[in-house]
Amino acid sequence: MSFDVDVARRLGAQNIAVRFATGPGLTALFGPSGAGKSSVLNMIAGLLRPDRGHIAVDGETLFADGVDLPPERRRAGYVFQDARLFPHRRVAQNLRYGERLADETQRWIGFERTVDFLGIAHLLDRWPRSLSGGEAQRVAIGRALLSGPRFLLMDEPLASLDSPRRAEIMTVIGRIRDELRLPILYVSHDRAEVERLADHMVEINQAIEDASHQ
Amino acid sequence: MMASLKRALWPILAAALALAPAFALIACGNDAQPGPTIVLAASSLQESLEAAADFYAAEGHARPVLSFAASSALARQIDGGAPADLFLSADEDWMDHVAQRGLIAADTRANLLGNTLVLAAPSGSALRWTPGGDLAAALGTGRLAMADPDSVPAGKYGRAALEHLGQWTAVAPHVVRGENVRAALAFVERGEAAAGLVYATDAAASARVRVVATLPDGSHPPIVYPVAVLAASRRADARRFARFLLSPAGQAIFRRYGFTAPQ
Amino acid sequence: MLSAAEWAIIGLSLKVSLVAVAATLPIAFALAWLLARGRFPGRMLVDALVHLPLVLPPVVIGWLLLIAFGRTGPVGGWLQDWFGVSVIFRWTGAAIAAAVMALPLMVRAIRLSIETVDRRLEGAARTLGAGPWRVFFSISLPLSLPGILAAVILGLARSIGEFGATITFVSNIPGETRTLPLAIYSALQVPGSDGEVTRLAVIAIVLSLAALLASEMLARRFRHDDRTGHVL
Repeated sequence: MSFDVDVARRLGAQNIAVRFATGPGLTALFGPSGAGKSSVLNMIAGLLRPDRGHIAVDGETLFADGVDLPPERRRAGYVFQDARLFPHRRVAQNLRYGERLADETQRWIGFERTVDFLGIAHLLDRWPRSLSGGEAQRVAIGRALLSGPRFLLMDEPLASLDSPRRAEIMTVIGRIRDELRLPILYVSHDRAEVERLADHMVEINQAIEDASHQ
Repeated sequence: MMASLKRALWPILAAALALAPAFALIACGNDAQPGPTIVLAASSLQESLEAAADFYAAEGHARPVLSFAASSALARQIDGGAPADLFLSADEDWMDHVAQRGLIAADTRANLLGNTLVLAAPSGSALRWTPGGDLAAALGTGRLAMADPDSVPAGKYGRAALEHLGQWTAVAPHVVRGENVRAALAFVERGEAAAGLVYATDAAASARVRVVATLPDGSHPPIVYPVAVLAASRRADARRFARFLLSPAGQAIFRRYGFTAPQ
Repeated sequence: MLSAAEWAIIGLSLKVSLVAVAATLPIAFALAWLLARGRFPGRMLVDALVHLPLVLPPVVIGWLLLIAFGRTGPVGGWLQDWFGVSVIFRWTGAAIAAAVMALPLMVRAIRLSIETVDRRLEGAARTLGAGPWRVFFSISLPLSLPGILAAVILGLARSIGEFGATITFVSNIPGETRTLPLAIYSALQVPGSDGEVTRLAVIAIVLSLAALLASEMLARRFRHDDRTGHVL
């Protein structure tokens, strides 16, 4: 099982409860905005603590009774909806941020290959603020890949992009799914997107108990 | 024409509102009332002069308003045109200073009081010294508090005395300067200074210091407190109060606090 | 142009202020962090205490310092017994007075900066493998730098001008605690000193203008960098 997730958490007035177990490839978390999909990603990344449950990815337990790995040890490559590049570092240093912190055995992709793969070689010296949405998103993906993750979390990465950029990034993500063979958990509210990219789909509606999956 | 007048109304109103506080302030400052006599007096006169003012008030006069500070500071205020009536200095130098500038009514100048200089220490301290002895050694690492020897009378007398006794050079690095003699006294009271040079009357006024030694009269210029009515004074009561201070009744009050007759 | 004594006064003022700000900076940062990020009982009380020197009369602060650091005081007695050192009548005491008065201004400036640091960036750094301390030093601290610099300049300006607490706490000792404002005050106590006062006042104005200009230039630099897209 790539993603074995069973968590519940009360967030404000909302009760979020999700359970799913899916195989390799790209798993889409699909549902309307506000259903708590981002919170699920945050729980898997270790940025939000579930009230109860367990989380295991590719056999490794990240959260359970008595286990709660801090985010820096979970080796999740998290691509946020708004890129979240560090404004006080240039693109090159953003890319290398996680790479520096991963040790030899964890790094499975090199700097040149990543830059090539994403087509961002000409952006290395730029400041994040000066990048377009599509460029920033590609750098964010590169940064996540370079940290040597065991899996990827993607939170609506195409949401803030225009059509040409969406197509561009969708292609990149398709290639990551096919060529780099990382388990990917992909959040989206766009059915078309999901149908194009997903190997498995998990539907999440407002605060539902069990999510159905195909 | 009416239209342009109306248009001008708002800016005028705004200007008036902006300037109103300034006008109010200026109006307040205009004090043409006679009011009580204002006395500028050296800090060492604090308790005794308050007692004298009380006595004077009990006789049915308006109680004078008393302002205490170092004589040097008072001289500066008089220089700057302070609207006071009487000046009571702790030495003749500062009275001469304002006299030379024509700021006193020369015919009213008289010597009011004398005093003695002492070395005081905190009540519980074991410090011992006599005028012939080594003061720096007696102080050890402790400080010697005194009024600013460059300008304040008590400080000037103090330095003169220590120079006469040959102690000044050794003691100077230990000195902590107070703004006036009462500030120096406070340092001794708090124990921040090991000892202080103050007037005998100051030591007597404080319950938390003891007199270690009296500095001999010959070691410093005679301590004289001159009094004078200021040239700009328009209050008749000022001269009356000055005469009272010089009278046997007034002098008796000062004696109670330890002041001597002027030499 | 300036006499040796006047240079000495400027030197003392700068020494006292620089030491005060340098010593206060880490404390101000810690307090700012605590107030910006911390959730603990008594937080409002800490906030109020930090702001006390802003609203209390400086003389009262000086008096409280006297009680604490005097020979018989809790801190003063301890310093005397364990280190044989006293801050009364010493420039170190003047620095303490300046530090206490500058603290609230510095805390406010730094706190504002910390509050604008996007915590989601810190989260992103954690997912990239950075532990909490690394996140602090590589993300939070650099992004708070504008506030820290503002705090330093504000703190220096406040310290150089500090008077009431200083004169009450450590008195007016030439060469030790007679900083620029105290020197002006002393000169005013003596007749015939207008020339002296004028020169010292001009120095004070020049120093303050320099602080304001530095602050303005820094603010501009950060604004400019905002446009090209980077901070620093």
